[in-house]
Amino acid sequence: MLELLAYDFMQRSLLAAALVGAVCSVIGVFVVLRGLAFAGAGTAHAAFAGVTLAYLVGLPPLSLAIVFGLATVWITGWVEEKGRMKLDVSIGILYTATMALAILFLGLMKSYNPEVYGYLFGSVLSVTSEELLTIVGLSVAVLGTILLLSKELYFIAFDQEMAAASGVPARQIFYLLLTLVALTVVISLKTVGAILVFAMILIPASTAYQLTHSLTQMTLYSMLIGTFCAVSGVLLSYAFDLPSGPSIVLLATSLFFLAVCCSPKRLHRIQAQ
Amino acid sequence: MTHPIIRFDHATFGFPGIIALEDVSLSIPESEFVGVIGPNGSGKTTLCRAVLGLMAPLRGTLRVLDCACQELRCHHRALIGYLPQKGMLDRNFPVTVLEAVMMGRYGALGLFRRPSRKDWDIARGALAQVGMDHHRASALGALSGGQQQRVFIARALAQQPRILLLDEPTTGLDLTAQHSVVELIQQLHRELKLTILMITHDINMIRSRVDRLVLLKTKLFAEGPPQEVLKPEILSQVYGKDLVITDKDFVIVEDYHHH
Repeated sequence: MLELLAYDFMQRSLLAAALVGAVCSVIGVFVVLRGLAFAGAGTAHAAFAGVTLAYLVGLPPLSLAIVFGLATVWITGWVEEKGRMKLDVSIGILYTATMALAILFLGLMKSYNPEVYGYLFGSVLSVTSEELLTIVGLSVAVLGTILLLSKELYFIAFDQEMAAASGVPARQIFYLLLTLVALTVVISLKTVGAILVFAMILIPASTAYQLTHSLTQMTLYSMLIGTFCAVSGVLLSYAFDLPSGPSIVLLATSLFFLAVCCSPKRLHRIQAQ
Repeated sequence: MTHPIIRFDHATFGFPGIIALEDVSLSIPESEFVGVIGPNGSGKTTLCRAVLGLMAPLRGTLRVLDCACQELRCHHRALIGYLPQKGMLDRNFPVTVLEAVMMGRYGALGLFRRPSRKDWDIARGALAQVGMDHHRASALGALSGGQQQRVFIARALAQQPRILLLDEPTTGLDLTAQHSVVELIQQLHRELKLTILMITHDINMIRSRVDRLVLLKTKLFAEGPPQEVLKPEILSQVYGKDLVITDKDFVIVEDYHHH
């Protein structure tokens, strides 16, 4: 297995996977606790629509993915803030509308483009040096922001109104969280793909949620689980010639069910009854 | 009268087309314990949100801590400890008691700054003040309703506030826990000299504990010492005619839906 690490493409893939696993799982803690799980799915599909448009008009794919992702999360946040309609309804509408746009842009392309489908299903083994640099830059930006503002992010995840009443700029922090979700999705598109990135945000955090009563520990466990699954998934996919995205996500899903079965919280509740 | 820490001057609150609270003029001096009562929809929570600076007056003015409420900045809000209405707490939410109390320090700390040893000491001190220090490592969701309210009061105290705003702090608690929470609030008022605004439906629980009662019915219906506000002729106008029975010790507002 060690000789694999001698290959440049494998070094790039493992580094990209580790970064994506860490970023997704850390932002996932706030997504799960703040109840924004479905927003992650909507953003991923919106970002994919941005990628398809970029290929259609000849622009860098990640730039339009960011534009589409940010527009979707900000509209989602605005709708929730104004209470115009239930959050799941507004995300559902944006989710399907952006997917429809993606299919439309794919239909307008003159020929089949395998690179576009790489963003839909993920192809971590083909990450280029330039893409890796973008992933590193965005990962540092997202993780650094979370580190600097973790106490405010925890507070709005716990109780946003209470946070605002206590003197925390809760509204601005909420929009910052949505922005970080969109950037995380964009970082992860090439590695796990638009369809499965949502799982990488949701599953490690939900697994960690089963294991601890402490916010700090939940974040740490989630990051460890996310990074482990991403790196192990890449190695498994190479060893058994499997697609990388599904390998990562199915490994994470297995750990989730294991955590549910062994959850100290659940076992304590059963003992208490 | 000492300088008012909260001052409503002909203030009207609501949303376009809906008036929630109209033409309120009220001054609350520092260190006063004020009970706010009134039927559902009378504007109690609106009053609370206004003091927090979450709602600007449509007409008139409201000054809190010598600042117009719509101009309250984060550092002002950090001086107002707030206990919201008891919502449904996800019992699995991963937060320990001490972590939940420490959140009360975040507004005062400001962005980017990590809690120092002094902040942790303040949070532990707040927990000790509400008698919950020995639960600091427990999961918040594992506590009873009364214990959780104590923790949330500790969170408000950890802000080191000048004003404590309590929105129905005894709702959903059993009788023992209700008494215990109200006694704790009274004790904190005595010891810390905080200005307390306590919204409640439980008139009997607070009538002997507050300095002043404010009775709302989408406007300021009455205010003054409890014995002046809790008169049958006043209460019957707010809660419904002939439905109020008072004797020496209790005010009983019968549920008019049953008649």
